[in-house]
Amino acid sequence: MKEILNVDQLAISFGNNEVLKCINFKLHENEVLGVIGPNGAGKTVMLNILTGILKPTKGTITFLGEDITKDTIPERCRKGIGRTFQVPRPFEKMTVYENILTGCVYGSRISEKEARHKALDILEKIKLSDRTKDFAGKLGLLDRKRLEVGRALATDPKVLLLDEVGGGLTESEVEEVLDLVRMVKSQGVSVVWIEHIIKTMLEGTDRVLLLANGCDIVCGCPQDVMNSKEVTDIYIGCEC
Amino acid sequence: MKLKLLSKGTYGKPLCFLVIMALLVTLPYWSGEYVVSIMMLILLYMAMGQMWNLMAGYAGLLSLGMQAFIGIGGYSLAVFSTTYGLNIFVSILLGGIFSLIFAFFISPALFKMSGVYFAIGSWVVAESLLLWFSNWEFVRYAQGINITSAYQFDTVDLYYIALVVGVAAALVVYLLLRSKSGLALMAMRDNSSAAETLGIELYKTKLRCYLISSFMMGIIGGAMYLYQAYILPSAAFSIGWTVAVTFMVIIGGIGTMEGPIIGAVLYVLFNQYLYQFPGISMMILGVTAILIILVAPNGIMGTLHNKTGIEILSARRNVG
Repeated sequence: MKEILNVDQLAISFGNNEVLKCINFKLHENEVLGVIGPNGAGKTVMLNILTGILKPTKGTITFLGEDITKDTIPERCRKGIGRTFQVPRPFEKMTVYENILTGCVYGSRISEKEARHKALDILEKIKLSDRTKDFAGKLGLLDRKRLEVGRALATDPKVLLLDEVGGGLTESEVEEVLDLVRMVKSQGVSVVWIEHIIKTMLEGTDRVLLLANGCDIVCGCPQDVMNSKEVTDIYIGCEC
Repeated sequence: MKLKLLSKGTYGKPLCFLVIMALLVTLPYWSGEYVVSIMMLILLYMAMGQMWNLMAGYAGLLSLGMQAFIGIGGYSLAVFSTTYGLNIFVSILLGGIFSLIFAFFISPALFKMSGVYFAIGSWVVAESLLLWFSNWEFVRYAQGINITSAYQFDTVDLYYIALVVGVAAALVVYLLLRSKSGLALMAMRDNSSAAETLGIELYKTKLRCYLISSFMMGIIGGAMYLYQAYILPSAAFSIGWTVAVTFMVIIGGIGTMEGPIIGAVLYVLFNQYLYQFPGISMMILGVTAILIILVAPNGIMGTLHNKTGIEILSARRNVG
């Protein structure tokens, strides 16, 4: 499979606090990479660096063969990196339709006229086509998460970074999130998926990366990683 | 058939607009001078309200320093038309251009701030201009300038100038909000970090909005001082302009295009009534504002929209 994203020796420090020490991984075309790790492992910080919100102190990010380490957030979006936030950030005073439309117009750089059809198509896919006229601020948590994914999809991403998209949801709702991720993959989009609900995540990922203390510990197929000594050590604290 | 089309709204809005425009254009022919001068003030305050609302209500840039551009516009008119004898309309236009240039140079510093810091920063800029103009020999220090060139216009002329400025301000805001930039402004207002991850360039979006409103505020300042015919730094750069505009927009409905229109009508009419109570007029105005905010926190238009869904000049995108 073609390599789409290459993260090489990524590190970041805030003062003396070394949050990411050395992260390395590769993401392939149309692959879902699950990222697990205990709280404080640096998962969201890594996502913020990949999006451009934080600047790394060391390391490079190569996207489709191009070094994007110094690119701004909008530049990365236009090149094909989309993201969702751990706590959804909808444009609350805009309608659901306008939220998606904004993603289409700015992320995909198409005219508003062209964007209308695309927005409706995305709303259908994320199962929000019956709420187009509602203000985004009035949506419940699951619908907000759907909207986040839809809005990111509207930018035509090649890689979608999902930050705990299942967080705070009930078991049945998490299943819907899993369907959402599968739908994203079916669109040919590669996904980096940070999640704490590991059981569900494992069903939708091709590979899993374990982070701990700002380092990548192990990466491989989900079952191998979950059965590895490293996961047991990090999550349980001893070899059982 | 005609009724059906009107009820569907196909021609309803354009027809309403044409009727209102016809009434406004013909106003001096069927009403007295007092009504014309009141309408002139309403139009100028409405124009100011539209620009402040564009910044605060649509872009999330709460500015307390828009009076800086009213002052620049007013002084451009005074200096170019009275001191240098330039055409009045050219002088007003120069006021807009100088406001735009000034806004361009202060924006890098101002945009490093956000929220309440941006509000205070913009206010400090306006206060600095007040001090500078009060100590500048070229503009006769704090003594002010008598804008003698304005004497050539009567109330009707001034009304038509205000009408052009008012309609232009509303049109500029409407077209901007209906354009691609409108989506970016509203997205930036609601969540700037999320907006950025969708490819929106925050700095450029803010700058575009700030420059447009500064330019228009400069023009409005010129038109306002054409009516006042005397300019003083303490009045031209007074925070009072922003207080009035904030009152209008919040009462009318922030983040709605109709809000500044309703707010301007109420503010000007209420002010006319309050002339009877010179000592306590501001107190009455303040208490009224507080009461309206308590009853209708989203302003008159915002509350009406929430309860009935009514929007006359909507920047909203509809499906299909």
